Amino acid sequence: MREMKIMRRNILYVLAASVCLILTTGCSEWLDVKPYDKIAEDDLLSTEEGYMKLLNGIYIELNRDMLYGGALSVEMVEIMGGAYVIGSDNAVWGNYRDLSEYKYGSDYWRARLNETWNKAYSLILNCNLLLENIEGSRHLFTEDNFNVIKGEALALRAMLHFDMLRLFGPVFSRNSSQQSIPYYKAYSMEPQPIRPAVEIAELIWHDLMEARILLSQDPVRTDGMMMDDVGSGTSVFMKYRSLRLNYYAVTALLARSALYFGNKESALRYALEVIEAAKNGVISFVDKSLVTGSPDDPDRIFSSEVIFALSHSQRNSLFKDYYDPSRIPNFVFRMDNEMMSNMIYGGGMTTGGSLDDYRYRVNWVATGANRYFYKYSDMVDTGNIRNTMIPMIRLGEMYLIAAEAKSEDISAGLSYVNTLRSYRGVNPLSALTRENLQYEYIRELYGEGQIFFMYKRMFSPILRSSQAGGPVEPEDKVFVIPLPDSEIEN
Amino acid sequence: MNMIDMKWNVSHSVVAFITFFLLFMSGSALAQNSGTAVLKGTVTDSSDGFPLIGVSVIVEGKKYGVITDLDGNYELRFPKQTATIVFSYVGYDDVEKEYNLKNEASFSKIVMYMNATELEDVIVTGVYERKKESFTGASATFKTDQLKAVGTNNVLQSLKTLDPSFKMMESAQFGSNPNMMPDVEIRGKTSVMGLKEEYGTDPNQPLFILDGFETTIETIMNLNMNRVASVTILKDAASTAIYGSKASNGVVVIETKAPARGRLQLSYKGDYGLSMADLTDYNLMNAREKLQFETLAGVYTDRSGSPFTQIQLDALRNERLKEIERGVDTYWLSEPIRSGVTHKHNIYAEGGEDKIRYGIGLSYGNVAGVMKGSDRQTLEGNVDLIYRTGKFQFSNKLTIDYLETANPTVSFSEYAYANPYYRKYNALGKVDKYLYYSEDGIGSTVTNPLWDAHLNNWDKASGFGFTNNFIFEWFVTEDLRMRAKFGLSKSDDDEQTRLSPLHSSFDEVGETEKGLYSRTQIQQLVYEGDVSVTFGKLIAQKHMLNAVGGFNFSNNSQHVYGYSANGFTDDQFDAPSFANGYPVDGKPDYRETLKRAVSFYVNGGYVYDDRYLMDFNYRLDGASMFGTGNRFRNTWSVGLGWNVHKEHFLKDNDFFSFFKIRGSVGNPGNQNFSAYQAFSTYKFNGWMTNIFGTGVILNALGNAELAWQETVNYDIGADLTFWGERVNLTLDYFWKDTDPLLAIITTRGSMGVTSVAMNAGRQHTKGWEATFKISPIYRPAERINWNISINAAHSRSRYADIGNAFSALNESGKSSLVGTTRYYDGGSPTAIWAVRSAGIDPATGQEVFIKKDGSYSLTYDVSDEVVVGDTQPSVEGIFGSTLYFKGLSVGCYFRYRVGGQVFNTSLFQKVENIGTEDVYNNQDKRALYDRWSPDNREAYFKGISMVQKTEKSSRFVMDENTLTGESVNIGYEFPDRMIRRLRISALNLQLTMTDMFRASTVRVERGIDYPFARSVTMSLGITF
Repeated sequence: MREMKIMRRNILYVLAASVCLILTTGCSEWLDVKPYDKIAEDDLLSTEEGYMKLLNGIYIELNRDMLYGGALSVEMVEIMGGAYVIGSDNAVWGNYRDLSEYKYGSDYWRARLNETWNKAYSLILNCNLLLENIEGSRHLFTEDNFNVIKGEALALRAMLHFDMLRLFGPVFSRNSSQQSIPYYKAYSMEPQPIRPAVEIAELIWHDLMEARILLSQDPVRTDGMMMDDVGSGTSVFMKYRSLRLNYYAVTALLARSALYFGNKESALRYALEVIEAAKNGVISFVDKSLVTGSPDDPDRIFSSEVIFALSHSQRNSLFKDYYDPSRIPNFVFRMDNEMMSNMIYGGGMTTGGSLDDYRYRVNWVATGANRYFYKYSDMVDTGNIRNTMIPMIRLGEMYLIAAEAKSEDISAGLSYVNTLRSYRGVNPLSALTRENLQYEYIRELYGEGQIFFMYKRMFSPILRSSQAGGPVEPEDKVFVIPLPDSEIEN
Repeated sequence: MNMIDMKWNVSHSVVAFITFFLLFMSGSALAQNSGTAVLKGTVTDSSDGFPLIGVSVIVEGKKYGVITDLDGNYELRFPKQTATIVFSYVGYDDVEKEYNLKNEASFSKIVMYMNATELEDVIVTGVYERKKESFTGASATFKTDQLKAVGTNNVLQSLKTLDPSFKMMESAQFGSNPNMMPDVEIRGKTSVMGLKEEYGTDPNQPLFILDGFETTIETIMNLNMNRVASVTILKDAASTAIYGSKASNGVVVIETKAPARGRLQLSYKGDYGLSMADLTDYNLMNAREKLQFETLAGVYTDRSGSPFTQIQLDALRNERLKEIERGVDTYWLSEPIRSGVTHKHNIYAEGGEDKIRYGIGLSYGNVAGVMKGSDRQTLEGNVDLIYRTGKFQFSNKLTIDYLETANPTVSFSEYAYANPYYRKYNALGKVDKYLYYSEDGIGSTVTNPLWDAHLNNWDKASGFGFTNNFIFEWFVTEDLRMRAKFGLSKSDDDEQTRLSPLHSSFDEVGETEKGLYSRTQIQQLVYEGDVSVTFGKLIAQKHMLNAVGGFNFSNNSQHVYGYSANGFTDDQFDAPSFANGYPVDGKPDYRETLKRAVSFYVNGGYVYDDRYLMDFNYRLDGASMFGTGNRFRNTWSVGLGWNVHKEHFLKDNDFFSFFKIRGSVGNPGNQNFSAYQAFSTYKFNGWMTNIFGTGVILNALGNAELAWQETVNYDIGADLTFWGERVNLTLDYFWKDTDPLLAIITTRGSMGVTSVAMNAGRQHTKGWEATFKISPIYRPAERINWNISINAAHSRSRYADIGNAFSALNESGKSSLVGTTRYYDGGSPTAIWAVRSAGIDPATGQEVFIKKDGSYSLTYDVSDEVVVGDTQPSVEGIFGSTLYFKGLSVGCYFRYRVGGQVFNTSLFQKVENIGTEDVYNNQDKRALYDRWSPDNREAYFKGISMVQKTEKSSRFVMDENTLTGESVNIGYEFPDRMIRRLRISALNLQLTMTDMFRASTVRVERGIDYPFARSVTMSLGITF
């Protein structure tokens, strides 16, 4: 009787213990719940396609208004670069007037800059999450996709940091050791410190170099941009290379940033590498017939020259929201007439401005007494991928970088500028000065968000029409935007 | 008091403990010898004659003892000698019988009597039960009679009157809205306030346990009070730690009645109540005053200097004046309110024999709120079954409930805003849409609140719930019990709102988009399982051991579906099918959450010689809400106690009948947080796709390293009963440290997210509680008793190490109109922050501020903010008295609140800060009379002005001392002789009045959107 009792207890004990054991080991798995109404990280990043979607998501988000779908391409930075005439009606132009006077402290612009900053860094976070997860997942990837995705994510991270540095950092050529922005080189729950610009420059450089190595097998080097839909139903992930940060786009970014960081030797080297690739047919200058032949359907953005562009499904809204003359009486962005006729597309040999310039002929259309900017207006062939492109970096800029970087003496770069001009249907310049190099930059990159950074890089006066009070003298309070509230207060 | 009965006090043990105790078990087996006395018999219950199972029968002073079997039989053998045999059973009086070597026969039938008072001395934790005398935790238990004596609304409402540590936050916004779930807390807050919305669940809400299973506050609110058997509040670490990481806010354990054995018994309990709105806090202007105020504020003075406009304004004023002369002085507040009739019924039939017991019940409740169109109806059916065979017991409680609620669609504040110089109805007796329609920019258009109210708008919800709780128990041996529980509950709620197309909010909306219908469906499925082993044994007469060990898992999933439709064209025909379409950019709403938790727990109790007590708890919790880095967490607690009255030096003393000193420490945690805060989630960037297809980006950044919020809890207390049981005193001092706090922190923009769930800082709380009860007249034999009771609680909290983590909340608080809560190190969560004011300068009428350095200034600077008060009172509690005379009882309870402050928003918003829009709303009388003017230079308030903005200053912070008549009741229990002829076995009647009055040193509008109510309830209980 008693033995039985003990035995029964023993059985109970063993039973209970084994139940416990099973339960303990099963617990951890059971507790791993996944949300159904959102996409869990583990689910998303368990396949190659998941990484592709995340990468594509980042590219898509770059099209937001507060980034390159507005503020950093056609709107905010171009106003800062003096590109547009600011009207006198305060009800229409009030906030733009403030910005043209570099009143970064106004409530409106503080909020807008904050928005840009937050969005840029949120995409940096997305890049970092991708990079953090991809490291242990190499086995998921086929072909060269691991290297391409990782390389592009690194390049995106570098590009966004670079643009934040160009906006909020010091004038690099004068105060490179000044505190600038934080650099997030990994996903972190801890806020990263604000560092001197020169340190940020090194981090950007490092990321871009690593991206370039990862992208060294990029098919763009052999097959070009592959901008025509193959239509065979196969994956287009490795096609349309100019819509992503391809090998040459990274090389071009290296050239652009090297110049900004004052490393002319590297700037020249990387610019020439891209130019060389162009000569080998990877990137081609715009077909003359597309810009002069049929005025109804010109390739206004010179799409074959674009090394990297965003693809914005409603790109026409850039034209409609900012440049369309039918917007009147609302604000419309256009170049000052005086600036246009005396410097950019006029002024003879001293300025290099000419009405024959393709860039003038296709992009500046007269309505009434003024000419309006049609770069982002749709082509007639609306289904064309060209109609979605917002150029981020282009071949023309490489020639200008090469010209600027050739030597400390700016005149040494004349031949590069003249080569570019030859593709624009205008006569060569006889001599290169800082001024006519700047005009060339304006002609080539108008409406692409680079002009302000050119002035900031050169620490030179910002050209404006004399009506607006003439050029803006270079000053830190013009070029250096204070860090947003969200960065300093928290 | 014998200790053997403790064995059956359900207490549970870890599996590992079992083998350990096997040794003790075998050692205690009975030794047999030749001179053996054999006593045999049956033990039965005096009330129904049923055998009692598990009664311990021992030889006093010896180690011999047995327990009655399933038929109540026992057979006790021991070496033949004279002895005292003690029969003891939980809840029954001990029976002691002398054995004189030959009276074996007298032991054949033992009858035991239930001891009513003793049952109350059992602490039910939901996992185990323990006698109060051997429990080291701080807790309070209330029986259904006590709960019903102070109020009949719901269990929580009554608890707040009975226990000082249980607080139900009064909502100035929602008043006595029966459909609004209250914020409740035990011993103050443990989490950062103001984050309820972010978490979705109130992080300060205690854990509710109903019949051993976790449940929601809503279920408790809906529970018909007549079904409740007892409620236990567990406060300190020793009592709550068994619930581990859910317990830091305290635990409320509710047990419903179990069917009683015996012949079929039918009982009916009914409550019939009437409630009326309490509008005494409103101090609104009458028609003449309002017009005068408007005139002084410059409503009828044209500022543009146009003589034509001035003529129109004069005409408008004259017209209104004429109306006033005609006697128009409309009292709008009476419009939306009514006398709410509440009735609740409960029928319960129970019975059964020893093997099967059953209970079936049906409850219905209809609460009509004091606002028209505010209703809450509950229908609840329950079946309770207990089946016992051999060593096994199966019990099952099934509840099915249905709920219907309706809310008024026009807020009470709309009526409070309406000016008294408008008529409610036009000449035809109809309601016009506008009280005043502005033309040519003269005045501002005012909508008639009666217009929106008379339309076919609704805001209603219904819910269907099913709960089945199954418990299986195996009485392995007399000391060891195994229990498996499984509870399942499913609920479906459906909320629908409709605004008529004629509603004033659609005035500016296109014809095809007027009207709005929205529907939200919430489906919830919860299941919980638990397996535990309980062990209890008295060893060598002096060592009482209790142990429980178990495993628990729970799963809680919720799905929310919602959509809206608009474009209705008719007021009357309101089916969603008449909608024209969906709102622009509207999309279906869908949300899902899944929370899972598992835990292992061990509880042990040891009592030495009835005098020295020790409890310990350990629980390992794992929860899906926490990241892989921190998925599991340990909870522990240790409690010590000393029964001073059992000491030898007090043994012969008659004064102290109970004197226990106890202390405990432990670290319960909190997991009232959102389901996926630890995980990063992504979403489609649906606004655009490109040639590469779709894209995804981060939706929310999770923090996998998020640590559980835990509160280290210390408690020292004493329970005393003395002077022949006439005085009861319970004292507790506690302090607790929540470290780390878990909060949604605003981050730097460069972090890539604007906020993230993080651990930040600590919160330290200190406080005390006291409950004192004295019976100047105490004659239990004659059933005459007079009690006076008073209880009090005090607590203070402060933040530490939070640094700048809450700077965003501080900034938004500073810039908000009325926000006075700040988060700084050393600051209290309930502190009122504002700039000190030296009052109004009599000469100029301007407010003089006191800067941080003490200097005076006319300019307001938000950085001069200091603590100017604390909404937490110094002492808050209840005092009351109850008189029992035979069957009659009379009781009254008053709440007092002393030493707190309040930021008077009525003064701030309805006396000053009346802006250009607000001036068209009716305002507090003080806005007219107490304002500065050259004739009234000593005024407390600034001069009348529409444009002047008043900043938050200490001028609006007032000492708040209140006295509330919380409950008065008169009850009568009819004596047996009166009701016997009616074949009724019990009949009682009770009249309860709640919230009869409220006196406060501060006059501030309460019940902004819904007024507070006073109620009178008649209760009837009949048992056949």
